[in-house]
Amino acid sequence: MKRRSFLKGILAASYTIATATSVLTPLSALAKTGAAKRDDWLTTGSHFGAFKIKRKNGVIDQVKPFDLDKYPTDMINGIKGMVYNPSRVRYPMVRLDFLLKGHKSDTTQRGNYRFVRVTWDQALTLFKNSLDNIQTNYGPSGLHAGQTGWRATGQLHSSTSHMQRAVGMHGNFVKKIGDYSTGAGQTILPYVLGSTEVYAQGTSWPLILDNANTIILWANDPYKNLQVGWNAETHESFEYLAQLKEKIKQGKIRVISIDPVASKTQDYLGCEKIYVNPQTDVALMLAIAYEIYNNDLHDKAFIEGYSLGFDRFVPYLTGEEDGIPKTVQWAEKITAVPADVIKQLAKTMVVGRTQILMGWCIQRQQHGEQPYWMAAVLATMIGQIGLPGGGISYGHHYSSIGVPATKASAPGGFPRNLDEGQKPIFDSTDFKGASSTIPVARWIDAILSPGKVIDANGGKVTYPDIKMMVFSGNNPWSHHQNRNQMKKAFHKLECVVSIDINWTATCRFSDIVLPACTTYERNDIDIYGSYAKRGVLAMQKMVDPLYNSLSDYEIFTRFAKLLGKEQEYTRGMTEFDWLKKLYNDCKDANSGQFEMPEFDQFWQDGYVHFGEGELWTRHADFRADPEINPLGTPSGMIEIHSRKIERYQYDDCKGHPTWMEKSERSHGGPGSDKHPIWMQSCHPDKRLHSQMCESKSYRETYSVQDREPVYLNPEDAKHRGIKDGDVVRVFNDRGQLLAGAVISDNFPKGVIRIHEGAWYGPVGDDGSTAAGAEIGAICSYGDPNTLTQDIGSSKLAQACSAYTCSVDYEKFVGHLPPVTSFNGPTEIAV
Amino acid sequence: MKWLINIWKTLNKPAKYLTLGSISLTAFVMGILFWGGFNTALEATNTEEFCISCHSMESKPYQELQQTVHWSNHAGVRATCPDCHVPHDWSRKIARKMEASSDVWGWIFNTVNTSEKFEDKRLEMASREWARFDRDDSLACKNCHEYDSMKWDEMSTLAQKQMKRAAEKDQSCVDCHKGIAHKLPDMGDARAPQLIAEVGSGESQFSNDEYYFSALTKPLFFSPTGDVEAGTLNVATKVKVLETNGNRVKVTIAGWRKKIGASRVIYFDFGINMLTAQLSIEAAKTEGVITPFEEKEDELTGLKWQRVETTLWTEKEYLLTEQQPLWDYARTTFRKSCSVCHTQPDEAHFDANTWPGMFQGMIAFVNMDDDTQALVQKYLQTHSSTFVKKEH
Repeated sequence: MKRRSFLKGILAASYTIATATSVLTPLSALAKTGAAKRDDWLTTGSHFGAFKIKRKNGVIDQVKPFDLDKYPTDMINGIKGMVYNPSRVRYPMVRLDFLLKGHKSDTTQRGNYRFVRVTWDQALTLFKNSLDNIQTNYGPSGLHAGQTGWRATGQLHSSTSHMQRAVGMHGNFVKKIGDYSTGAGQTILPYVLGSTEVYAQGTSWPLILDNANTIILWANDPYKNLQVGWNAETHESFEYLAQLKEKIKQGKIRVISIDPVASKTQDYLGCEKIYVNPQTDVALMLAIAYEIYNNDLHDKAFIEGYSLGFDRFVPYLTGEEDGIPKTVQWAEKITAVPADVIKQLAKTMVVGRTQILMGWCIQRQQHGEQPYWMAAVLATMIGQIGLPGGGISYGHHYSSIGVPATKASAPGGFPRNLDEGQKPIFDSTDFKGASSTIPVARWIDAILSPGKVIDANGGKVTYPDIKMMVFSGNNPWSHHQNRNQMKKAFHKLECVVSIDINWTATCRFSDIVLPACTTYERNDIDIYGSYAKRGVLAMQKMVDPLYNSLSDYEIFTRFAKLLGKEQEYTRGMTEFDWLKKLYNDCKDANSGQFEMPEFDQFWQDGYVHFGEGELWTRHADFRADPEINPLGTPSGMIEIHSRKIERYQYDDCKGHPTWMEKSERSHGGPGSDKHPIWMQSCHPDKRLHSQMCESKSYRETYSVQDREPVYLNPEDAKHRGIKDGDVVRVFNDRGQLLAGAVISDNFPKGVIRIHEGAWYGPVGDDGSTAAGAEIGAICSYGDPNTLTQDIGSSKLAQACSAYTCSVDYEKFVGHLPPVTSFNGPTEIAV
Repeated sequence: MKWLINIWKTLNKPAKYLTLGSISLTAFVMGILFWGGFNTALEATNTEEFCISCHSMESKPYQELQQTVHWSNHAGVRATCPDCHVPHDWSRKIARKMEASSDVWGWIFNTVNTSEKFEDKRLEMASREWARFDRDDSLACKNCHEYDSMKWDEMSTLAQKQMKRAAEKDQSCVDCHKGIAHKLPDMGDARAPQLIAEVGSGESQFSNDEYYFSALTKPLFFSPTGDVEAGTLNVATKVKVLETNGNRVKVTIAGWRKKIGASRVIYFDFGINMLTAQLSIEAAKTEGVITPFEEKEDELTGLKWQRVETTLWTEKEYLLTEQQPLWDYARTTFRKSCSVCHTQPDEAHFDANTWPGMFQGMIAFVNMDDDTQALVQKYLQTHSSTFVKKEH
C-alpha cells in the first residue's frame, strides 16, 4: 500500500471568517437552510446565554442577546467562531495505525495525530466491531463509556444521553460517580448538612441583599463564573450583583472576599479583601472558630438544638486532642493572615447577619472535603443557618442559583437509559469481581492499575481492567490531571472512540473520531435561566450540519440501525416528533400552573416565559422544625463530628474537620524549595471549561503570542526577567507548558494562574505535531493540567485535586514551537 | 271534566266501521313510521356532526381529540364522539340520551359557551364521564380494545406488568388512562396525578387485619369522623387495617422513633432514616396514641431509638394492596428524571441513610411534586445497599 501524507488546506494560516462562507459551508447546506425566512432573527441558546441569531446568505451573520438577558456575557462574541472554525471535525476519521491493525495497533502512536478520512458507514462499523471485540473478550468491565461531561445544551440532542443509550443497547459498561467540579464537596456535605449543597437551590438574592450585614465570599468569584450555566443562561444573577455593588457603596453591606488572588468579583464590587496563603483556608477557619469559641461568641442554643458532635470537635480546636491550640497566632504562621485580622474577622462574623458564600475551587485540592466541612461548622457556630441572609451557601456562583425560581417544570430529555424491558445485545453483567462504578477522577489510575482496591466513601472500589473508552461531548484531556500520566494509561487501551464537534485533545488521543454538529445546526429545546426556570426556549436550527457532521440523534440512530435496534432507539419518532413530545410532556406537567401554548405557536414565538420566581430561604424549614424537616445526615442534624466517617478510620478524612498539610504546597509548604509557585487553574473567564477555546478570533482577543495567558506577579516576573507578552515555560516534575505572560498586581507573590480548559497541544522537541505523542512533550498552548497531579482528594471522596500543584517558571528562550492545539489532525491518504 | 269523560267513552267504544285487522295494520305502520322517525332522529343525535354542532363541543373537546391517537393513527381507525360517550347497547343508549337532555339545558342557558366557563366546568363534566366509564368498566373502550387480544410481547416490561394486573381484574380502562382523548381537567389540588393514574386510587373494601400501602402521603386522624389531624402517613408505607368506619379506616403503623424533640417522627426501622409517619405534637403527647417498646442506641449517631406502634384513622382512599406498583412507578421516574443531566447512580450505590442527602441535593433540577419526591426517595432507600446487597 502506498501512503502519502499531506497537510490539509484547512490549516491555512490566512483563515478568516470572511472566507468562512465559501470555504466552510458546503453548497448543499446553503441550499437547504431552514424553513424559516432567510432574514428572520431565530432563537437559540447555549451555556453562554440565550440568543437571537440572524443569517445572511445561509451563514450565521449576527448574534445578539435574548430580549430577557440584560447582562449578556462577552463570550457572545465567541459564538459564531464555535460554528466556523478550523478545529471542527469535518469527517469521520480513524487513527492510521488503528485502521491498519485494529485492536493490535501500536498504541504508543496514539496522539501522533495521523488520521485517515473514512465514510460514516466504515466508521460506525469499526466502532461496533470494537465494541463486539471488547464485550466478547473482556465483558462489560473492559468498556468504560460512563465518563461524561458538560456536553452542549439542548434536552433532545444531549450528547451523553445519546451515546449511553446507544452503547447501552450494545452492552453494559463501567460508569462513574461524582464529577470534577465538586467531587469532594458533593461527597462530604451529605454527611454534614445532609445534601450535596453544591447543586441545591440557595437563598434568594433579594433576601440576602435585604438581610445580610456581612457577606463572606470565600474563594468565590461569582462575577466570573455566573457567565455560563448548565442550561441556557439569562444572567439574572448579575442584576443582584449590581445591587450588591450599590449596597457596598452605600455602606449597607460589607463584603469580605477571602482569596489568594484579587478576583474579577473583587474588582467589580470594590469589596474588602483578605489574602490567604493557597490551600491553607482550613487553618484560617479553625482560628476564626477558636476565636469565636474562646470569646464565648458561639450560638450555644443553635449548636445544641440543631447539631451533633460539637463536644467532639472542641478538644481538637483547643488543642486538647493534638496538643496544638488553633489560635490566631498558629494560623498566622500557616496562612499569612495577620492575627488581628483574624480576630476582627471572627468578631465581624458573629455580629449581625452573616452570609457565607463558598466557591468550588477550594474543594478541588487534596483534603478538599475539609474546607467545606469546616465552613459548615463555622456557620453552625454563628447560628444563622436557615435565616434569610445568614448561614452558608455552596452554589451562588453557579447557574443562576439564588435567582428567585419559578416552580415550573422544565422539559425532560431524550432518554439516556434503555426503555423498560429492552436488553442489550451483550447483556452480561459480569464485571469479574471489579466495581461497575468508579469515582470519576480515578479512571486513569484504574487503567494503569487494574484490580487495585481503593477506599471510597466508606466502601471499597476494585478497579476494572478497562480496555476501551467511549467519549461523547466530553473532553477529559482538558479536565483530567497530569497529561503524561494519561499518555501512559492510553498506551494500555485497545480502542478509544470520541464523538465531538471539534478536534479536542481527547479526539487527538482517540482511534475513531466522529463529527457531531454544533447546537446551531440542529433543532432542540431547553429551559432558560438554569435553576431559576424562567421559561422554555426553542433552539432553532440556523444552518444545516457543516461538512459530514451529523446531529447526535442522527449519529446514534444510524449506529442503532447497525445493531438492528433503530426502532428501539428512536421509538419510531423523528427529531421533530421528539421535540414535540418533550414540549408536550412539559406542557402537561405545567398544566394548571403555567399555561403553555401549542407547540407550533411556541416554535414560532421562540420561547414561553414562566414569569417571576418566588423568594425562598435555604434550610428555613429545618430551622423551623428540625424534627419534622430533618437534614439528610445520619442523625438528621448538622454533624460537626461524624461518627459514620470516624468509623471509616481514614487518615486523610477524620471524624471532624481537620487541618492537614498537603503533599505539595507553596509559601513554605512541602516542596516549596524546589517548586515555589502555586498554580491556580480555576474556571476560565472567557470559555466554559474547554468549550469556545476553538473560537479562533475570540481566542485571539486574549491569547498572548497565540498562547494561553499565564497571570504573573510583577515581582516574581521581574525576578525571572519576564516582561508582559513574553512566552513563559511553566514546569514541574510532571510536565511542562508554554504560555503567554500577563503581568498583573492581582496575583500575589508565589502565585500564578492559568485557566483550565486551555487546549492541550503537545509538540515534540523537533517542533513536530507527531512527536507530541511522546511522554514529556511540552504543551505548546498552555494546558495547566499538563502539570497538575492525579491524586484523590482523600479516601472519602477520591475527587480530583488539581489545586494541589506546585510549579516553577522561566522565560522561554530558543526556537518557539508552533501551537498544535487547533486546526485538526494531519490527514493521511491511504 | 265532562269533555274528558266523553273522549274516554268514545275511545272506549268498539269499532263500528274498521276491522280489527285494519286497526292493527294502521297501528303497525304508524308504529314503524314513528319508530323509524324516532330512530332516525336518535341516530342523528348520535353522529359527530350533531355533537360538534354546539360551539362549545367543537371548540374544545373536538379540537383536543384531533391532537390524539384516537383521531389519527397508522391503522386509520378513528373514534368519534359517540363511540366513547354513548353506550352501544339499546336500553342504555336510551337512558344515556335521557340523561343527555340536560345538555340541551346547558346549550340554551350558555353554561359552557366560553373558554373560561368550559374550563370551570371541565372537571365536573370529566368526573361525570369517568364515573360513567367506571360503572360499566370502560365498556366503550373495550368495544375496540380487548385484554384478550393484546400482544403482551410487544409491550414494554412495565406496560406488561401494569396491563396484566389490570386484565386479571378486568379493570376499568380509565382507572389509569385518563386524559387520553381530551385535556385532563385542572385537578386543582389533586396530588401526583400521574402517580395515581399509574397505581390507581386504591381499594374501596378492606379486610380487617390485612396490610395495605399508602399511595400518597395521607393525613392521619384521631377518630373516624373528627377533623383534627393527628399527623401524616408517609407515601408507600405499610399499615395494618383494623376496622372500617364510614370513609375512614383505623390503621396500625409500626416503626422506630428517635428520642429527640417530641419524638413524633416514626421511621421504618431502627437507625434507618426512612419516613413512616410524622405525628403532631398533640398526638405524640396524647396518652395511648403511641405504644412504646424497647430502646436501642444507634452507634453511628449516638442517638437513642425506640420501637413504637401507633393506631390512628385515615381516609379510605389511596390505600393499595400491593407496594410493587409504587416501586415500579418510582423506578421509572428515577431513571427518567435523574438521567437528564447525568447517568443516574445505581440504587444500591448508596446506603439508606445516604440517599436522602444525595437526592435532596439534586432535586432542584427535577420536576417532581412533593408526593413523587417522597416516593422516589423512599424507593431509593428501600433499594439501597442497606437492603440490597450488591457490590458497587
